[in-house]
Amino acid sequence: MPIQTPARRLMRHVGLEFVEAKVGGGGHRSTNAALSLTSMIDFLVVTVVFLLMTFSASGETPIAQGLTLPKAENTLDMIDAPMVAVVGSQILVDGSPSGNTRTVEESDRMQRIDELFNILKAKRELWKQTHPNKDFPGVVMLQIDQNIKAVIVKSVFQTAAFAGFPNVSFMVNNLPKTAH
Amino acid sequence: MGGVDLGTGGGGKRKSLDSEINMIPMIDLLMVTISFLLITAVWTHMARINADAQVPGPPRPDVEQEKIEPEKQLHVEMRAEDKFVLVWKQGSTTVDSIDVPRKDVIQQQGSVEVIRFPDLAEKVESEWKAKGQHSNPTDRKLDQAILHTDNKTEFKYIIGVIDAIYQIHRDMQLGPKTEKVPAFNITFAVN
Repeated sequence: MPIQTPARRLMRHVGLEFVEAKVGGGGHRSTNAALSLTSMIDFLVVTVVFLLMTFSASGETPIAQGLTLPKAENTLDMIDAPMVAVVGSQILVDGSPSGNTRTVEESDRMQRIDELFNILKAKRELWKQTHPNKDFPGVVMLQIDQNIKAVIVKSVFQTAAFAGFPNVSFMVNNLPKTAH
Repeated sequence: MGGVDLGTGGGGKRKSLDSEINMIPMIDLLMVTISFLLITAVWTHMARINADAQVPGPPRPDVEQEKIEPEKQLHVEMRAEDKFVLVWKQGSTTVDSIDVPRKDVIQQQGSVEVIRFPDLAEKVESEWKAKGQHSNPTDRKLDQAILHTDNKTEFKYIIGVIDAIYQIHRDMQLGPKTEKVPAFNITFAVN
């Protein structure tokens, strides 16, 4: 069937004048609304292309509630590693409570956080048992609120290093790179 | 139905070259794709910034100690409120010390304050170009930067300084191709 000139055709084949008058407007304003398919499909295609370009297959990394991460420009891609979050004075390892920072805050002195140390060490031992022929990567990801004091950051950092996780990464929000 | 008419019609016994696309399933497909992509979209892009605790250890016992010269390390001190101090140390010997006036560039982005230190980045870059030991693309080692902070400094300022140091990049040959990598490996001072 060849393409024909666009026009109103709906129910034109019905041989009743009042039907034609009704659908065609019949002197009144038509009750039918025409939708331009071309522009609608253009819009849908552009939306699909935009969403596909911004699509990330790696998924979203869960962030502990009540935590505001700092932003940085010169960053690396995320990797799969144990997640240590410092929320207020609470420390979470992969979402489970693993000690607190109260002793560090009170003494205002960098020190090892024993509960965190034991949990990270246990994680390391477990990894070594489950991967007997592989080198332990020793990577740990720290989620720390932007306003946390350096003494806590350094204590958590040092505790992770002592527990056998020397490759410490801080999780940040990625900033678009500016020209330097 | 949307279609394509090549004007050849379907005359004779030849198969018509005109084709038609059924618009309804096509629009349905686009709608379903958009819904899926919107639901699975991740709008916040997380990343990581490395602060390695793997500093070079003591020399190997099987190698003569006299022949091993300790490497130069850049100590970045951010204890003072008005300046950074960049100290190049070789072992326990101070090679050079430079003061960099501290100018915090603070930008509010929603609830997050983005802290930048462009002057520090510039000075660290010029220092690395002058005194850095690992700049050859075939050299797999990185120069070491050690960050000294007081206990009260907020984490966002530490990230600002680390970000400024990581701004300096150099070429490194990784297999057949050359890639840009940060010039420094950063760690924290324990004191």
